[in-house]
Amino acid sequence: MFEATNELGNLVLSTGGTLTDPNAAAALAVGLAALGAGYAERGIGSAAVGAMAEDDDLFVNGLILTVLPETIVILALVVVFIVG
Amino acid sequence: MSAAGSPNPEYVVARVRARRGSLFGDEEYRKLTRMGPAEIARFMEESSYGAEINALGSRHGGVDLIEYALNRNLAEQFDAILDWSEGSLYGLIARYLRKFDAWNVKTVIRGVYTDAEQEAVEVDLIRAGEFDDRRIRRLLEADSIDGVIEVLEDTIYGEPLREAYAEFEETGVLVPLENAVDRAFYERLLSGLGGDEPTRQYEAFLKAEVDFRNATNALRLARSGADIDPAAYFIEGGDLFTRSSLARLAQNIDELVEYIGDSQYGDELGPALRELEEADSLIAFEHAIDAALLAYGDRLGTIHPVSVTPIISYILAKERETENIRAIARGKEAGLSPDEIESELVIT
Repeated sequence: MFEATNELGNLVLSTGGTLTDPNAAAALAVGLAALGAGYAERGIGSAAVGAMAEDDDLFVNGLILTVLPETIVILALVVVFIVG
Repeated sequence: MSAAGSPNPEYVVARVRARRGSLFGDEEYRKLTRMGPAEIARFMEESSYGAEINALGSRHGGVDLIEYALNRNLAEQFDAILDWSEGSLYGLIARYLRKFDAWNVKTVIRGVYTDAEQEAVEVDLIRAGEFDDRRIRRLLEADSIDGVIEVLEDTIYGEPLREAYAEFEETGVLVPLENAVDRAFYERLLSGLGGDEPTRQYEAFLKAEVDFRNATNALRLARSGADIDPAAYFIEGGDLFTRSSLARLAQNIDELVEYIGDSQYGDELGPALRELEEADSLIAFEHAIDAALLAYGDRLGTIHPVSVTPIISYILAKERETENIRAIARGKEAGLSPDEIESELVIT
């Protein structure tokens, strides 16, 4: 598995593929960060909805906690500005 | 309410934790032990039992009202938990809640055996298990034990009951049938559990419960001195006893106490065992076992916060709460003093 990835990397580097393009790499970074944030929000969101169903007062807390992982996407956006 | 989809422990744990917060604490219990049955009912009306007390208040009164409200609340809460869970989580929770199915089957069989009124049996059922309303209706309508077994034909209880029925016809006592139900439940309880870490802890807890149940049975048998084969009451699946070791230890109570004291549960049950040796009180020992299980359950729920264990921990605590309230109400009815009732409660 890892050898295959290595080879793929070498191949991409030697042929000067799109992944070595800084803009493409930055876009990929943002995309992966968004994916991670989405996965984190899945669990937090369902827990927040569960807590809200029991007690309406938890709406604000639930909302804040649910969108917290979103910060990781904003941080990843910084990469775009640094590269671009 | 399905075994399809991916497990959603986050959602169920969040809801269950919120509900756990509204369980009665020391303070409430202390208040309850100083109230009469009517006041207890009113106190419950203002707590999470309000809906049930209001629904049943017109038909029942006094301690019966409290008892039925407790049963119905328990059933509704556990049904809701099953309703929320999906995927493998559903299977893990249903596994434990099937004990209410076993309870219902035993209640119905006893009702048929004693020719009780259908309504009298119905109020004693706890509809928290997997049986749907249709099956329960058919169970209640069955007018012979043979008929009850027929309704259960396609469940896990069908075959063991059919086998035990012959023995029942011979002897005319219910013990073989009830044992068959219990054994069918415990066999399913521990078979085919998955392999991740929270599930292993859940399994360890279930094993502890089986061990404790075996220990109480053995102690009861040893103390009653009755000429019953202890192996017939043995429940498979625990770590502590084997069929033969239980049969041997039940002959001699001192050896049995020593054996439990030396086991992995020795630390938790030590004080209760000493008391058993000194005061000869089996009740204290059984309470200690309940308290140890409850403490085990509490600890269980904190190690893996997002898994099946906090849910099981809540189910245990809720069950214990209804048993405590029932003990208070029944104790009041019998005219016990608050101190006596408090000694009957199991609080961690």
